[in-house]
Amino acid sequence: MRGRLLASWLLLGLVLIAVAVVAAPGSSYSNQDREQPLAGASMHHLAGTDTLGRDRLVRVAAAFLLSLAGAIAAAAVTTAAAAGVGTLSAFSPATLGRLGMLVCDVFLALPWLFMLMMVRSALPLTTSPAHSAAITFLVLAALGWPACARAVYRGALDLRNSEWMLQARAGGLRGKQIARHVLPNLVPLLMPQFLICIPAFIIAEANLGALGLGIGEPLPSWGGMLLELDNSSMLLQTSWVYLPIALLILILLLLEAIAVEV
Amino acid sequence: MNSAVSLLKRLARTVLIVFLVVVGSTVLIRFAPGYLSDAREMDARYGDAARAELSAEAARSVSLRQMLSMEMSAWTNGSLGLSRQYDVPVLELVLPRLAVTGGLMLRAIVFAWSLALCASLLSSAGRNPSLLWQAPAALLLGVPTAAMATICLLAGSGGPVLVMTLLLAARDFKFLDRLLRMAWLDPHLLQARAQGLTTFRLVRAHILPSITPQLLALATLSIVTALSALVPVEVIFSVPGLGQLAWNAAMNRDLPVLLAVTMIMAIAVTFSGMASDRFGEWQRA
Repeated sequence: MRGRLLASWLLLGLVLIAVAVVAAPGSSYSNQDREQPLAGASMHHLAGTDTLGRDRLVRVAAAFLLSLAGAIAAAAVTTAAAAGVGTLSAFSPATLGRLGMLVCDVFLALPWLFMLMMVRSALPLTTSPAHSAAITFLVLAALGWPACARAVYRGALDLRNSEWMLQARAGGLRGKQIARHVLPNLVPLLMPQFLICIPAFIIAEANLGALGLGIGEPLPSWGGMLLELDNSSMLLQTSWVYLPIALLILILLLLEAIAVEV
Repeated sequence: MNSAVSLLKRLARTVLIVFLVVVGSTVLIRFAPGYLSDAREMDARYGDAARAELSAEAARSVSLRQMLSMEMSAWTNGSLGLSRQYDVPVLELVLPRLAVTGGLMLRAIVFAWSLALCASLLSSAGRNPSLLWQAPAALLLGVPTAAMATICLLAGSGGPVLVMTLLLAARDFKFLDRLLRMAWLDPHLLQARAQGLTTFRLVRAHILPSITPQLLALATLSIVTALSALVPVEVIFSVPGLGQLAWNAAMNRDLPVLLAVTMIMAIAVTFSGMASDRFGEWQRA
Protein backbone atom coordinates (compact mmCIF):
# COMPACT_ATOMS: atom_id res chain seq x y z
CA MET A 1 0.00 0.00 0.00
CA ARG A 2 2.84 2.36 0.88
CA GLY A 3 4.60 1.53 -2.40
CA ARG A 4 1.49 2.32 -4.36
CA LEU A 5 1.05 5.64 -2.60
CA LEU A 6 4.66 6.58 -3.21
CA ALA A 7 4.38 5.62 -6.89
CA SER A 8 1.18 7.65 -7.23
CA TRP A 9 2.77 10.75 -5.70
CA LEU A 10 5.88 10.39 -7.86
CA LEU A 11 3.74 10.05 -10.99
CA LEU A 12 1.66 13.06 -10.00
CA GLY A 13 4.87 15.03 -9.46
CA LEU A 14 6.12 14.06 -12.92
CA VAL A 15 2.78 15.08 -14.47
CA LEU A 16 2.93 18.50 -12.76
CA ILE A 17 6.52 19.05 -13.90
CA ALA A 18 5.58 18.04 -17.45
CA VAL A 19 2.59 20.42 -17.44
CA ALA A 20 4.83 23.22 -16.17
CA VAL A 21 7.42 22.55 -18.90
CA VAL A 22 4.84 22.39 -21.70
CA ALA A 23 2.86 25.40 -20.47
CA ALA A 24 5.93 27.60 -19.87
CA PRO A 25 5.79 30.76 -21.99
CA GLY A 26 7.59 30.41 -25.30
CA SER A 27 7.93 26.64 -25.15
CA SER A 28 6.55 24.63 -28.04
CA TYR A 29 7.23 21.06 -29.05
CA SER A 30 7.48 22.04 -32.72
CA ASN A 31 9.57 25.24 -32.43
CA GLN A 32 12.87 24.83 -34.23
CA ASP A 33 16.11 26.50 -33.20
CA ARG A 34 17.89 26.18 -36.54
CA GLU A 35 21.13 27.51 -35.09
CA GLN A 36 21.40 24.68 -32.60
CA PRO A 37 20.57 21.24 -33.96
CA LEU A 38 21.70 18.43 -31.66
CA ALA A 39 22.88 20.88 -29.01
CA GLY A 40 23.84 19.82 -25.50
CA ALA A 41 22.20 21.09 -22.30
CA SER A 42 22.11 24.87 -21.95
CA MET A 43 20.05 27.56 -20.23
CA HIS A 44 17.76 27.77 -23.26
CA HIS A 45 17.43 24.03 -23.78
CA LEU A 46 17.78 22.19 -20.49
CA ALA A 47 18.03 18.76 -22.11
CA GLY A 48 19.48 19.91 -25.42
CA THR A 49 17.85 19.76 -28.84
CA ASP A 50 17.10 17.06 -31.42
CA THR A 51 18.38 16.87 -35.01
CA LEU A 52 15.87 19.51 -36.09
CA GLY A 53 16.76 21.89 -33.25
CA ARG A 54 13.58 21.24 -31.24
CA ASP A 55 13.78 21.41 -27.45
CA ARG A 56 14.11 17.84 -26.19
CA LEU A 57 12.73 18.48 -22.71
CA VAL A 58 9.54 20.08 -24.05
CA ARG A 59 9.08 17.24 -26.51
CA VAL A 60 9.61 14.59 -23.83
CA ALA A 61 7.16 16.35 -21.49
CA ALA A 62 4.57 16.71 -24.26
CA ALA A 63 5.02 13.06 -25.32
CA PHE A 64 4.57 11.97 -21.70
CA LEU A 65 1.35 13.95 -21.28
CA LEU A 66 0.01 12.91 -24.67
CA SER A 67 0.70 9.20 -24.19
CA LEU A 68 -0.56 9.21 -20.60
CA ALA A 69 -3.79 11.01 -21.51
CA GLY A 70 -4.30 8.81 -24.59
CA ALA A 71 -3.59 5.61 -22.64
CA ILE A 72 -5.93 6.61 -19.80
CA ALA A 73 -8.72 7.46 -22.24
CA ALA A 74 -8.17 4.21 -24.17
CA ALA A 75 -8.07 2.19 -20.94
CA ALA A 76 -11.34 3.82 -19.80
CA VAL A 77 -13.00 2.93 -23.13
CA THR A 78 -11.63 -0.62 -22.98
CA THR A 79 -12.76 -1.14 -19.39
CA ALA A 80 -16.22 0.27 -20.10
CA ALA A 81 -16.58 -1.93 -23.18
CA ALA A 82 -15.37 -4.98 -21.26
CA ALA A 83 -17.75 -4.23 -18.38
CA GLY A 84 -20.65 -3.89 -20.83
CA VAL A 85 -19.93 -7.00 -22.87
CA GLY A 86 -18.94 -9.17 -19.89
CA THR A 87 -21.94 -8.21 -17.75
CA LEU A 88 -24.46 -8.44 -20.58
CA SER A 89 -23.09 -11.83 -21.66
CA ALA A 90 -23.28 -13.14 -18.09
CA PHE A 91 -26.83 -11.92 -17.48
CA SER A 92 -28.19 -12.84 -20.95
CA PRO A 93 -29.56 -16.26 -21.89
CA ALA A 94 -26.79 -18.86 -22.16
CA THR A 95 -26.73 -18.84 -26.00
CA LEU A 96 -26.21 -15.08 -26.15
CA GLY A 97 -23.55 -15.33 -23.46
CA ARG A 98 -21.67 -17.96 -25.46
CA LEU A 99 -21.97 -15.78 -28.57
CA GLY A 100 -20.49 -12.85 -26.66
CA MET A 101 -17.54 -14.98 -25.58
CA LEU A 102 -17.10 -16.27 -29.14
CA VAL A 103 -16.68 -12.65 -30.26
CA CYS A 104 -14.08 -12.24 -27.52
CA ASP A 105 -12.26 -15.35 -28.77
CA VAL A 106 -12.22 -13.97 -32.30
CA PHE A 107 -10.57 -10.76 -31.06
CA LEU A 108 -8.18 -12.69 -28.83
CA ALA A 109 -7.08 -14.81 -31.79
CA LEU A 110 -5.75 -11.71 -33.52
CA PRO A 111 -2.24 -10.71 -32.47
CA TRP A 112 -2.76 -7.04 -31.55
CA LEU A 113 0.40 -5.65 -33.14
CA PHE A 114 -0.40 -7.15 -36.53
CA MET A 115 -3.95 -5.87 -36.29
CA LEU A 116 -2.73 -2.40 -35.33
CA MET A 117 -0.30 -2.41 -38.24
CA MET A 118 -3.06 -3.50 -40.59
CA VAL A 119 -5.40 -0.72 -39.46
CA ARG A 120 -2.68 1.94 -39.44
CA SER A 121 -1.48 1.01 -42.90
CA ALA A 122 -5.02 1.21 -44.26
CA LEU A 123 -5.39 4.86 -43.20
CA PRO A 124 -5.36 7.62 -45.83
CA LEU A 125 -1.90 8.80 -46.83
CA THR A 126 -2.80 12.34 -45.73
CA THR A 127 -3.84 11.55 -42.12
CA SER A 128 -3.02 14.49 -39.82
CA PRO A 129 -0.78 13.92 -36.73
CA ALA A 130 -3.67 14.63 -34.34
CA HIS A 131 -5.89 12.14 -36.18
CA SER A 132 -3.11 9.53 -36.22
CA ALA A 133 -2.75 9.92 -32.43
CA ALA A 134 -6.50 9.62 -31.87
CA ILE A 135 -6.76 6.63 -34.21
CA THR A 136 -3.78 4.86 -32.59
CA PHE A 137 -5.33 5.04 -29.12
CA LEU A 138 -8.82 4.29 -30.44
CA VAL A 139 -7.55 1.13 -32.14
CA LEU A 140 -5.72 0.15 -28.94
CA ALA A 141 -8.98 0.57 -27.02
CA ALA A 142 -10.90 -1.39 -29.65
CA LEU A 143 -8.46 -4.31 -29.47
CA GLY A 144 -7.84 -4.34 -25.71
CA TRP A 145 -11.26 -5.16 -24.33
CA PRO A 146 -11.74 -8.93 -25.02
CA ALA A 147 -9.31 -10.28 -22.43
CA CYS A 148 -10.79 -7.92 -19.83
CA ALA A 149 -14.34 -8.86 -20.91
CA ARG A 150 -13.58 -12.54 -20.30
CA ALA A 151 -12.49 -11.77 -16.72
CA VAL A 152 -15.58 -9.60 -16.17
CA TYR A 153 -17.80 -12.37 -17.61
CA ARG A 154 -16.43 -14.87 -15.07
CA GLY A 155 -16.92 -12.38 -12.21
CA ALA A 156 -20.42 -11.44 -13.35
CA LEU A 157 -21.36 -15.14 -13.69
CA ASP A 158 -20.28 -15.72 -10.09
CA LEU A 159 -22.39 -12.73 -9.05
CA ARG A 160 -25.36 -13.99 -11.05
CA ASN A 161 -25.21 -17.31 -9.26
CA SER A 162 -24.66 -15.80 -5.81
CA GLU A 163 -27.34 -16.25 -3.18
CA TRP A 164 -28.10 -12.56 -2.69
CA MET A 165 -28.64 -12.21 -6.42
CA LEU A 166 -31.01 -15.19 -6.48
CA GLN A 167 -32.94 -13.62 -3.64
CA ALA A 168 -33.01 -10.24 -5.40
CA ARG A 169 -34.36 -11.83 -8.57
CA ALA A 170 -36.86 -13.91 -6.64
CA GLY A 171 -37.91 -10.70 -4.87
CA GLY A 172 -38.83 -9.21 -8.23
CA LEU A 173 -36.00 -6.71 -8.79
CA ARG A 174 -35.89 -5.47 -12.37
CA GLY A 175 -32.89 -5.42 -14.70
CA LYS A 176 -32.01 -1.77 -13.98
CA GLN A 177 -32.22 -2.30 -10.22
CA ILE A 178 -30.06 -5.43 -10.46
CA ALA A 179 -27.49 -3.57 -12.59
CA ARG A 180 -27.27 -0.90 -9.88
CA HIS A 181 -26.14 -3.59 -7.45
CA VAL A 182 -23.99 -5.59 -9.86
CA LEU A 183 -21.74 -2.80 -11.16
CA PRO A 184 -20.37 -1.70 -7.76
CA ASN A 185 -19.55 -5.35 -7.07
CA LEU A 186 -17.55 -5.53 -10.31
CA VAL A 187 -15.41 -2.48 -9.46
CA PRO A 188 -12.72 -4.55 -7.63
CA LEU A 189 -12.38 -6.55 -10.85
CA LEU A 190 -12.52 -3.61 -13.25
CA MET A 191 -10.10 -1.33 -11.42
CA PRO A 192 -7.00 -3.59 -11.81
CA GLN A 193 -7.94 -4.21 -15.46
CA PHE A 194 -8.09 -0.45 -16.04
CA LEU A 195 -4.74 0.13 -14.33
CA ILE A 196 -3.05 -2.76 -16.15
CA CYS A 197 -4.25 -1.42 -19.51
CA ILE A 198 -2.55 1.99 -19.08
CA PRO A 199 1.12 0.83 -19.15
CA ALA A 200 0.24 -1.84 -21.74
CA PHE A 201 -1.16 0.83 -24.08
CA ILE A 202 1.82 3.15 -23.51
CA ILE A 203 4.19 0.29 -24.42
CA ALA A 204 2.07 -0.56 -27.47
CA GLU A 205 2.14 3.04 -28.68
CA ALA A 206 5.92 3.20 -28.14
CA ASN A 207 6.48 -0.04 -30.07
CA LEU A 208 4.25 1.09 -32.90
CA GLY A 209 5.94 4.49 -33.03
CA ALA A 210 9.38 2.89 -33.06
CA LEU A 211 8.28 0.99 -36.17
CA GLY A 212 7.22 4.26 -37.84
CA LEU A 213 3.51 3.41 -37.60
CA GLY A 214 2.53 5.45 -34.57
CA ILE A 215 1.72 9.09 -33.99
CA GLY A 216 2.79 11.29 -36.91
CA GLU A 217 5.33 14.13 -36.69
CA PRO A 218 5.52 16.90 -35.53
CA LEU A 219 3.49 15.59 -32.56
CA PRO A 220 5.95 14.13 -30.07
CA SER A 221 5.59 10.50 -29.07
CA TRP A 222 7.68 7.96 -27.16
CA GLY A 223 7.99 5.78 -30.25
CA GLY A 224 9.12 8.68 -32.41
CA MET A 225 11.78 9.63 -29.88
CA LEU A 226 12.96 6.03 -29.53
CA LEU A 227 13.70 6.15 -33.25
CA GLU A 228 16.52 8.59 -32.42
CA LEU A 229 18.35 5.70 -30.76
CA ASP A 230 18.79 4.12 -34.20
CA ASN A 231 21.14 6.92 -35.18
CA SER A 232 24.48 5.80 -33.72
CA SER A 233 26.34 8.97 -34.79
CA MET A 234 23.87 11.02 -32.75
CA LEU A 235 24.48 8.85 -29.69
CA LEU A 236 28.16 9.76 -29.76
CA GLN A 237 27.37 13.50 -29.83
CA THR A 238 24.94 13.77 -26.92
CA SER A 239 23.83 11.48 -24.14
CA TRP A 240 20.52 13.39 -23.76
CA VAL A 241 19.17 11.07 -26.49
CA TYR A 242 18.73 8.52 -23.71
CA LEU A 243 16.39 10.82 -21.73
CA PRO A 244 13.14 9.60 -23.38
CA ILE A 245 13.88 5.89 -22.85
CA ALA A 246 15.00 6.47 -19.23
CA LEU A 247 11.88 8.48 -18.44
CA LEU A 248 9.63 6.01 -20.26
CA ILE A 249 10.99 3.11 -18.20
CA LEU A 250 10.55 5.10 -14.98
CA ILE A 251 6.94 5.96 -15.83
CA LEU A 252 6.13 2.38 -16.80
CA LEU A 253 7.63 1.08 -13.56
CA LEU A 254 5.57 3.58 -11.55
CA LEU A 255 2.39 2.59 -13.40
CA GLU A 256 3.19 -1.11 -12.91
CA ALA A 257 3.74 -0.48 -9.19
CA ILE A 258 0.34 1.24 -8.93
CA ALA A 259 -1.39 -1.57 -10.87
CA VAL A 260 0.26 -4.44 -9.00
CA GLU A 261 -0.62 -3.13 -5.57
CA VAL A 262 -4.36 -2.74 -6.28
CA MET B 1 -16.42 -41.70 -28.20
CA ASN B 2 -17.12 -38.74 -25.93
CA SER B 3 -13.55 -37.65 -26.29
CA ALA B 4 -13.80 -37.75 -30.11
CA VAL B 5 -17.01 -35.71 -30.07
CA SER B 6 -15.46 -33.15 -27.73
CA LEU B 7 -12.38 -32.93 -29.96
CA LEU B 8 -14.56 -32.44 -33.04
CA LYS B 9 -16.58 -29.73 -31.28
CA ARG B 10 -13.43 -27.92 -30.28
CA LEU B 11 -12.02 -28.24 -33.79
CA ALA B 12 -15.25 -26.87 -35.27
CA ARG B 13 -15.13 -23.91 -32.87
CA THR B 14 -11.51 -23.23 -33.79
CA VAL B 15 -12.28 -23.36 -37.52
CA LEU B 16 -15.27 -21.04 -36.94
CA ILE B 17 -13.06 -18.57 -35.08
CA VAL B 18 -10.49 -18.59 -37.89
CA PHE B 19 -13.27 -18.07 -40.45
CA LEU B 20 -14.69 -15.15 -38.45
CA VAL B 21 -11.20 -13.67 -38.15
CA VAL B 22 -10.82 -13.79 -41.96
CA VAL B 23 -14.23 -12.19 -42.48
CA GLY B 24 -13.71 -9.58 -39.72
CA SER B 25 -10.26 -8.56 -40.95
CA THR B 26 -11.47 -8.27 -44.53
CA VAL B 27 -14.42 -6.10 -43.46
CA LEU B 28 -12.11 -3.94 -41.33
CA ILE B 29 -9.69 -3.44 -44.22
CA ARG B 30 -12.45 -2.75 -46.71
CA PHE B 31 -14.03 -0.02 -44.60
CA ALA B 32 -10.73 1.54 -43.47
CA PRO B 33 -10.74 5.13 -44.76
CA GLY B 34 -7.56 4.73 -46.81
CA TYR B 35 -8.37 1.38 -48.42
CA LEU B 36 -8.72 2.78 -51.92
CA SER B 37 -5.51 4.83 -51.83
CA ASP B 38 -2.45 3.07 -53.17
CA ALA B 39 1.09 4.26 -52.38
CA ARG B 40 2.14 3.33 -55.94
CA GLU B 41 -0.08 6.09 -57.31
CA MET B 42 2.33 8.59 -55.75
CA ASP B 43 5.38 6.90 -57.28
CA ALA B 44 6.74 9.11 -60.07
CA ARG B 45 8.09 6.06 -61.91
CA TYR B 46 4.54 4.93 -62.75
CA GLY B 47 3.13 6.39 -65.95
CA ASP B 48 -0.40 7.73 -66.42
CA ALA B 49 -1.59 4.44 -67.91
CA ALA B 50 -0.25 2.49 -64.95
CA ARG B 51 -1.90 4.91 -62.51
CA ALA B 52 -5.20 4.56 -64.35
CA GLU B 53 -4.85 0.79 -64.18
CA LEU B 54 -4.16 1.00 -60.42
CA SER B 55 -7.26 3.16 -59.90
CA ALA B 56 -9.32 0.73 -61.99
CA GLU B 57 -7.94 -2.19 -59.96
CA ALA B 58 -8.93 -0.44 -56.73
CA ALA B 59 -12.37 0.35 -58.09
CA ARG B 60 -12.86 -3.30 -59.10
CA SER B 61 -12.25 -4.46 -55.52
CA VAL B 62 -14.80 -2.10 -53.96
CA SER B 63 -17.47 -4.75 -53.34
CA LEU B 64 -17.10 -6.48 -50.00
CA ARG B 65 -18.63 -9.70 -51.34
CA GLN B 66 -16.16 -9.76 -54.19
CA MET B 67 -13.33 -9.06 -51.79
CA LEU B 68 -14.38 -11.91 -49.50
CA SER B 69 -14.77 -14.36 -52.37
CA MET B 70 -11.33 -13.36 -53.72
CA GLU B 71 -9.85 -13.82 -50.27
CA MET B 72 -11.47 -17.24 -49.86
CA SER B 73 -10.45 -18.42 -53.33
CA ALA B 74 -6.88 -17.20 -52.70
CA TRP B 75 -6.77 -19.29 -49.53
CA THR B 76 -8.41 -22.34 -51.09
CA ASN B 77 -6.14 -22.38 -54.14
CA GLY B 78 -3.14 -22.02 -51.83
CA SER B 79 -1.64 -18.79 -53.22
CA LEU B 80 -2.86 -16.64 -50.26
CA GLY B 81 -3.44 -13.76 -52.70
CA LEU B 82 -1.19 -11.58 -54.85
CA SER B 83 1.28 -9.14 -53.32
CA ARG B 84 0.68 -5.55 -54.47
CA GLN B 85 4.30 -4.62 -53.86
CA TYR B 86 6.15 -7.57 -55.43
CA ASP B 87 3.43 -8.83 -57.80
CA VAL B 88 4.01 -12.46 -56.77
CA PRO B 89 1.77 -14.91 -54.87
CA VAL B 90 1.91 -14.18 -51.14
CA LEU B 91 2.70 -17.85 -50.45
CA GLU B 92 6.05 -17.47 -52.23
CA LEU B 93 6.92 -14.64 -49.84
CA VAL B 94 5.63 -16.36 -46.74
CA LEU B 95 7.06 -19.89 -47.09
CA PRO B 96 10.80 -19.15 -46.83
CA ARG B 97 10.18 -16.76 -43.93
CA LEU B 98 8.02 -19.18 -42.00
CA ALA B 99 11.00 -21.38 -41.13
CA VAL B 100 13.08 -18.38 -39.99
CA THR B 101 10.31 -17.06 -37.73
CA GLY B 102 9.43 -20.55 -36.45
CA GLY B 103 13.05 -21.24 -35.53
CA LEU B 104 13.45 -17.90 -33.78
CA MET B 105 10.25 -18.33 -31.80
CA LEU B 106 10.97 -21.92 -30.86
CA ARG B 107 14.45 -21.13 -29.55
CA ALA B 108 13.22 -18.07 -27.66
CA ILE B 109 10.31 -19.95 -26.06
CA VAL B 110 12.48 -22.92 -25.00
CA PHE B 111 15.21 -20.68 -23.51
CA ALA B 112 12.64 -18.41 -21.84
CA TRP B 113 10.77 -21.29 -20.25
CA SER B 114 13.97 -22.86 -18.94
CA LEU B 115 15.13 -19.53 -17.53
CA ALA B 116 11.74 -18.63 -16.03
CA LEU B 117 11.22 -22.08 -14.52
CA CYS B 118 14.68 -22.15 -12.89
CA ALA B 119 14.30 -18.59 -11.58
CA SER B 120 10.79 -19.14 -10.25
CA LEU B 121 11.76 -22.40 -8.54
CA LEU B 122 14.57 -20.59 -6.73
CA SER B 123 12.46 -17.52 -6.03
CA SER B 124 9.41 -19.39 -4.77
CA ALA B 125 11.52 -21.36 -2.31
CA GLY B 126 11.82 -18.19 -0.21
CA ARG B 127 9.10 -17.17 2.23
CA ASN B 128 8.34 -13.76 0.66
CA PRO B 129 8.72 -12.47 -2.91
CA SER B 130 12.33 -11.27 -3.11
CA LEU B 131 13.22 -7.99 -4.79
CA LEU B 132 16.31 -9.74 -6.19
CA TRP B 133 14.07 -11.75 -8.53
CA GLN B 134 11.11 -9.39 -8.90
CA ALA B 135 13.05 -6.23 -9.79
CA PRO B 136 14.78 -7.54 -12.96
CA ALA B 137 11.49 -9.05 -14.17
CA ALA B 138 9.62 -5.78 -13.57
CA LEU B 139 12.38 -3.82 -15.32
CA LEU B 140 12.36 -6.11 -18.34
CA LEU B 141 8.57 -5.85 -18.59
CA GLY B 142 8.81 -2.05 -18.38
CA VAL B 143 11.06 -1.70 -21.41
CA PRO B 144 9.31 -1.65 -24.80
CA THR B 145 10.56 -4.47 -27.03
CA ALA B 146 11.73 -2.04 -29.71
CA ALA B 147 13.83 -0.12 -27.17
CA MET B 148 15.30 -3.32 -25.73
CA ALA B 149 16.23 -4.53 -29.21
CA THR B 150 17.79 -1.17 -30.10
CA ILE B 151 19.83 -1.09 -26.87
CA CYS B 152 21.10 -4.64 -27.52
CA LEU B 153 22.00 -3.68 -31.08
CA LEU B 154 23.85 -0.55 -29.92
CA ALA B 155 25.67 -2.45 -27.18
CA GLY B 156 26.72 -5.01 -29.78
CA SER B 157 25.78 -7.86 -27.49
CA GLY B 158 22.87 -10.20 -27.84
CA GLY B 159 20.64 -10.82 -30.79
CA PRO B 160 16.98 -11.43 -31.57
CA VAL B 161 16.88 -14.67 -29.58
CA LEU B 162 18.23 -12.97 -26.45
CA VAL B 163 15.74 -10.07 -26.63
CA MET B 164 12.77 -12.38 -27.13
CA THR B 165 14.03 -14.77 -24.47
CA LEU B 166 14.36 -11.99 -21.89
CA LEU B 167 10.94 -10.58 -22.67
CA LEU B 168 9.21 -13.97 -22.54
CA ALA B 169 11.15 -15.10 -19.48
CA ALA B 170 10.13 -11.97 -17.55
CA ARG B 171 6.46 -12.50 -18.38
CA ASP B 172 6.56 -16.25 -17.72
CA PHE B 173 8.45 -15.72 -14.47
CA LYS B 174 5.73 -13.38 -13.18
CA PHE B 175 3.09 -16.11 -13.59
CA LEU B 176 5.25 -19.11 -12.66
CA ASP B 177 6.47 -17.49 -9.45
CA ARG B 178 2.88 -16.85 -8.32
CA LEU B 179 1.80 -20.37 -9.33
CA LEU B 180 4.67 -22.09 -7.56
CA ARG B 181 4.32 -19.89 -4.47
CA MET B 182 0.69 -21.06 -4.15
CA ALA B 183 1.59 -24.67 -4.92
CA TRP B 184 4.23 -24.78 -2.15
CA LEU B 185 1.56 -23.87 0.39
CA ASP B 186 -0.60 -26.93 -0.33
CA PRO B 187 -1.06 -28.90 2.94
CA HIS B 188 0.07 -32.21 1.43
CA LEU B 189 3.30 -30.58 0.28
CA LEU B 190 3.95 -29.09 3.69
CA GLN B 191 3.53 -32.56 5.16
CA ALA B 192 5.75 -34.13 2.50
CA ARG B 193 8.45 -31.55 3.24
CA ALA B 194 8.14 -32.24 6.95
CA GLN B 195 8.62 -35.96 6.22
CA GLY B 196 11.88 -35.15 4.47
CA LEU B 197 11.13 -35.59 0.74
CA THR B 198 13.79 -33.98 -1.41
CA THR B 199 12.94 -30.75 -3.21
CA PHE B 200 13.64 -32.35 -6.59
CA ARG B 201 11.18 -35.15 -5.89
CA LEU B 202 8.56 -32.73 -4.59
CA VAL B 203 8.81 -30.63 -7.71
CA ARG B 204 8.86 -33.56 -10.14
CA ALA B 205 6.19 -35.74 -8.53
CA HIS B 206 3.84 -33.24 -6.88
CA ILE B 207 4.20 -29.65 -7.99
CA LEU B 208 4.66 -29.96 -11.75
CA PRO B 209 1.72 -32.39 -12.26
CA SER B 210 -0.57 -30.18 -10.17
CA ILE B 211 0.18 -27.00 -12.14
CA THR B 212 0.23 -28.59 -15.61
CA PRO B 213 -3.09 -27.05 -16.79
CA GLN B 214 -1.91 -23.57 -15.84
CA LEU B 215 1.45 -24.24 -17.51
CA LEU B 216 -0.34 -25.18 -20.72
CA ALA B 217 -2.37 -21.97 -20.62
CA LEU B 218 0.87 -20.11 -20.06
CA ALA B 219 2.39 -21.83 -23.11
CA THR B 220 -0.33 -20.31 -25.29
CA LEU B 221 0.28 -16.93 -23.70
CA SER B 222 3.99 -17.30 -24.48
CA ILE B 223 3.18 -17.82 -28.16
CA VAL B 224 0.97 -14.71 -28.19
CA THR B 225 3.67 -12.65 -26.45
CA ALA B 226 6.34 -13.96 -28.83
CA LEU B 227 4.19 -13.04 -31.83
CA SER B 228 3.72 -9.52 -30.48
CA ALA B 229 7.46 -9.09 -29.99
CA LEU B 230 8.26 -10.56 -33.38
CA VAL B 231 7.80 -7.42 -35.49
CA PRO B 232 10.06 -4.99 -33.58
CA VAL B 233 12.71 -7.66 -33.02
CA GLU B 234 12.84 -8.82 -36.64
CA VAL B 235 12.75 -5.28 -38.00
CA ILE B 236 15.51 -3.93 -35.75
CA PHE B 237 17.80 -6.96 -36.15
CA SER B 238 16.98 -7.31 -39.87
CA VAL B 239 15.83 -10.91 -39.50
CA PRO B 240 14.13 -12.00 -42.75
CA GLY B 241 11.06 -13.44 -41.04
CA LEU B 242 7.30 -12.98 -41.08
CA GLY B 243 7.44 -9.97 -38.72
CA GLN B 244 9.73 -8.09 -41.07
CA LEU B 245 7.55 -9.07 -44.02
CA ALA B 246 4.45 -7.74 -42.22
CA TRP B 247 6.19 -4.46 -41.33
CA ASN B 248 7.42 -4.05 -44.89
CA ALA B 249 3.89 -4.72 -46.13
CA ALA B 250 2.44 -2.18 -43.66
CA MET B 251 4.92 0.52 -44.73
CA ASN B 252 4.12 -0.11 -48.41
CA ARG B 253 0.37 -0.62 -47.92
CA ASP B 254 0.63 -4.15 -49.31
CA LEU B 255 -2.62 -5.25 -47.68
CA PRO B 256 -2.89 -8.78 -49.19
CA VAL B 257 0.48 -9.69 -47.61
CA LEU B 258 -0.43 -8.07 -44.30
CA LEU B 259 -3.79 -9.81 -44.25
CA ALA B 260 -2.21 -13.19 -45.02
CA VAL B 261 0.43 -12.82 -42.29
CA THR B 262 -2.22 -11.72 -39.77
CA MET B 263 -4.31 -14.76 -40.69
CA ILE B 264 -1.34 -17.11 -40.25
CA MET B 265 -0.69 -15.59 -36.82
CA ALA B 266 -4.37 -15.90 -35.87
CA ILE B 267 -4.38 -19.56 -36.95
CA ALA B 268 -1.23 -20.23 -34.90
CA VAL B 269 -2.74 -18.59 -31.79
CA THR B 270 -6.13 -20.34 -32.14
CA PHE B 271 -4.73 -23.80 -32.77
CA SER B 272 -2.13 -23.52 -30.00
CA GLY B 273 -4.94 -22.49 -27.64
CA MET B 274 -7.00 -25.47 -28.75
CA ALA B 275 -4.05 -27.86 -28.40
CA SER B 276 -3.23 -26.64 -24.88
CA ASP B 277 -6.91 -26.90 -23.81
CA ARG B 278 -7.15 -30.39 -25.25
CA PHE B 279 -3.91 -31.51 -23.64
CA GLY B 280 -5.09 -30.09 -20.32
CA GLU B 281 -8.36 -32.02 -20.54
CA TRP B 282 -6.47 -35.20 -21.41
CA GLN B 283 -4.10 -34.64 -18.48
CA ARG B 284 -7.02 -34.13 -16.05
CA ALA B 285 -8.77 -37.27 -17.37
